Amino acid sequence: MNKKIVSGFAIAAAATLALGAVATAPANAAGKKEVTLAFQGPLTGPDAQLGQDQFPGAQWAIELYNATNPKTKVKLIKADSQCDGTVAANIAPGVAANKAVIGVIGTSCSGEARNSFPAYRAGGLTMVAPSASAVSLTDPKAPDRGFPIFHRVVAHDGFQAPALVRYATKGVTGPKIYLVDDQTTYGAGLIKYAMAPAKKLGVVGTDSVPRGTADWTSVASKVKSAGANVVIYGGYTVEAAKFFKALRDGGYTGILAAGDGVNTSDFPELAGKAAEGVRLTAADVPFENLLTKDELASFTKVTGVKVPGLYSTTAYNAARVFLTCIEQGKLTRSAIQLCVNSSTFKGAGGSSIKFNRYGDIIGGADVGGYLVKNGKIGYDAIA
Amino acid sequence: MNFSVVTSQFWSLALQGLALGLIYSLVSLGYTMVYGVLRLINFANSEVFMLGTFTVVWIEIHFLNHPVASEPLTGIELIYTLVIALVGSMIACAVLAVLVEIVAYRRLRSRGASRLASLISAIGVSIFLMESMRMYTESRPQTAPRLLEKWSFGEIAGANFRIDTMLAIVAPIIIFVILDRFVTKSRLGKAIRAVSMSEENAKLMGIDINRVISMTFLIGGLTTGAAAFLYTTVYENTVFNVGFNMGIAAFTAAVLGGIGNLRGAFYGGLALGMLEQFASAILGSQWKAVTVFVVLVLVLLFKPSGLFGEAVQQTRT
Repeated sequence: MNKKIVSGFAIAAAATLALGAVATAPANAAGKKEVTLAFQGPLTGPDAQLGQDQFPGAQWAIELYNATNPKTKVKLIKADSQCDGTVAANIAPGVAANKAVIGVIGTSCSGEARNSFPAYRAGGLTMVAPSASAVSLTDPKAPDRGFPIFHRVVAHDGFQAPALVRYATKGVTGPKIYLVDDQTTYGAGLIKYAMAPAKKLGVVGTDSVPRGTADWTSVASKVKSAGANVVIYGGYTVEAAKFFKALRDGGYTGILAAGDGVNTSDFPELAGKAAEGVRLTAADVPFENLLTKDELASFTKVTGVKVPGLYSTTAYNAARVFLTCIEQGKLTRSAIQLCVNSSTFKGAGGSSIKFNRYGDIIGGADVGGYLVKNGKIGYDAIA
Repeated sequence: MNFSVVTSQFWSLALQGLALGLIYSLVSLGYTMVYGVLRLINFANSEVFMLGTFTVVWIEIHFLNHPVASEPLTGIELIYTLVIALVGSMIACAVLAVLVEIVAYRRLRSRGASRLASLISAIGVSIFLMESMRMYTESRPQTAPRLLEKWSFGEIAGANFRIDTMLAIVAPIIIFVILDRFVTKSRLGKAIRAVSMSEENAKLMGIDINRVISMTFLIGGLTTGAAAFLYTTVYENTVFNVGFNMGIAAFTAAVLGGIGNLRGAFYGGLALGMLEQFASAILGSQWKAVTVFVVLVLVLLFKPSGLFGEAVQQTRT
C-alpha cells in the first residue's frame, strides 16, 4: 500500500478518535450519561408483527424512565433478527460489538435467542426476553441453554403447552387431537411438551412441516383421514394461516388451536375466514388490563399504538428489569449481569420478578386463552 | 409410516398432487424452454414467477379494487377479474423474462463471453429482483383476496373436485396442448427447434437467433405468469422468496422429466407433485424433500437424461 494513503488513514483515524472524544466530553462534563439498550426481535419479515407488538411495551417503559430526568438517560436501539435464527447469528455479533449497549431486551423468538447466545455470551451481554419460550433455552441439561446471560419474563412452553392442550380441548367430548409443528426451536418444543398431556386425551396423528411450505393439502387430507376434531399447531402466524385455510377449505369442521407464535394481531387478516373461532394461548395478560386509563393514554401518546399488542406487558417488564438496575447505577455489562441475576424487580400490575439460576422467573405465570371472534383476537379466560 | 391415509384418501391426494404438479410443470417450462435453445439454466425464472404472484395480488387489490377482506365475486365480474389477473400476470412475466434475456444474456452473448458468465449474470438478476422485493415489502407476506369462492363440483371416492383445484388442473393442460402444437407446427416453433438442435446450422439457414431466443424467453415467461396466477388463486398468498422453493421444485421437475424437453417438463412436474403429496402423507411432511431428491437421484442413476430425455429427442425445443 502506498505510504501516503496509509498515513492518510492514520490521520483520519486519529481525527475520528479526537472528534469522538470531543463529542462525548460535554455530556460527561454536565454529569449526564447515556447508556443503550437494544430491542432484538422480528421488526420486518414474515413474523414482524410479533416484534412490532412487543416493541412499544419496551419503548414506553424507557420513555417514562427518561421523562423522570434521571442521572443516566437510556437510549433504545432496534436489532431486527426477523424471528430467524440465521439472521440472528449474523446480527448478534454487531450488537455485542457496540460497546454502548449494556443489555438486550429480547429476543422474541426462541431460535433467535439460541443463535444469539454465542455472541452475547462472549460479550458478557445480558438478555431479558419478552417471549422466547422454548424450554431448552433455560434447561440446565440442554446444550443450547443460554446460561448465564439469558433471562426471560415469560413462562416457558413447559407451562404453555399443557395449558394449550387444556384450552384447545375445552368443552370437547372425546377429543381426537392432531399435532403439527413447524420444525423450529419454538414450534417443535411446544408440540413436544404438548404431547404428554395430549396423549392422555387421545392423539390420532402428528406431522412436522417445514416453514415455507405452500401446499398444505396433504396435511389436511391426513387430518381428515385420521378423523381428528382438535388440531393443535406449534409454529408461527404465516404458516398457521396457510394450514388453517387448507383445513377449512378441505372441509374440516373441528377445533383449531395454536400457541403464542400465532397470537399476533395480523393473524385474522392472513387467515381470513379460517381464523374465526381459532383458540390461541399466550403466557401473557393483556397490557391494557393492568394499566389505568391515564397510563393507557400515555402509552398511546408515546407509541402511537391504541391497543397494546401481545407481550407488550412482558416487553415492558423486560425493560423495567434493566431500568431498575440502571437506576441503581449499574452501567456496565458486568454490573448489569450481576444485578439482573440477583435482584427482585417489580413488573407491570405490581407483579414481582426474580430469576432463578438459569434465567426463568421464579413462580411461573398464568397462561391466557384467547379466541378469534369477528376478525379480532380477544382475551377469553385463563387457559 | 401411515398407510391408512392412502387407502382412505388416495384419490384426494392424487387430485391435489395433480394440481400442484401441473403448477410446477408450468414454471418448469420457463427453465426447460430456455435450456433447449441456450443449453443454460435460467436461474432468474424463479424471480419472474415471484413478480408474477405480486402482479396478480396488485391487480386484484389495487387495480380492480378488491381489498383482502372483500367478499368472493360471482358471475361476469368474477370471470373478468380472473382473466385480467391472468393476462396481466402473463404479460408482466413475459416482459420481465425478455428483459432478463436482454440484460443478463444477450449482451454477454454478443461479446462472446463464456457461457458460464451468463449463468452468473442470471443468478445476479435473480438476487437483485428478490432483494428489491424484500426491501419493498419489508419481507412481509402478502395475502391475496379470496375472489373465487371455493365451492365444489362434488366428491368422488373422497376426492374433492373443488373449483380452484380444477382450475389448476384444466388451465395448465390447455396451455400445454397449445404450446405443444405451437412448437411442433408453427414457423417460429420450428425455428426454436432448429436452434435447439444446432445453433450453427440454424444460423446458416437464415434463422434470426436473437429473435428466437427472445421468443423462447417470452414463451417461458408466459407460462410462468400463468403459473403465478394459479398459485396465487389457489394458495392466496405470496412473499418475496416464494420463487425460491418454487424454482427449486420446477427445476427439479425439469431435470426429472429430462431438461430441454416440453413433455419432460409436463410429466416431470406431475411426478413431482404426486411424489410430494404421497411422501408427505405416508412418511410425514418432514420426509417430503428427502423422498423427492432420493427419487431424483435414483432416476438420474438409471436414466441420466431424465425420464423423457431421449425418447422424445426430436421434439426438443
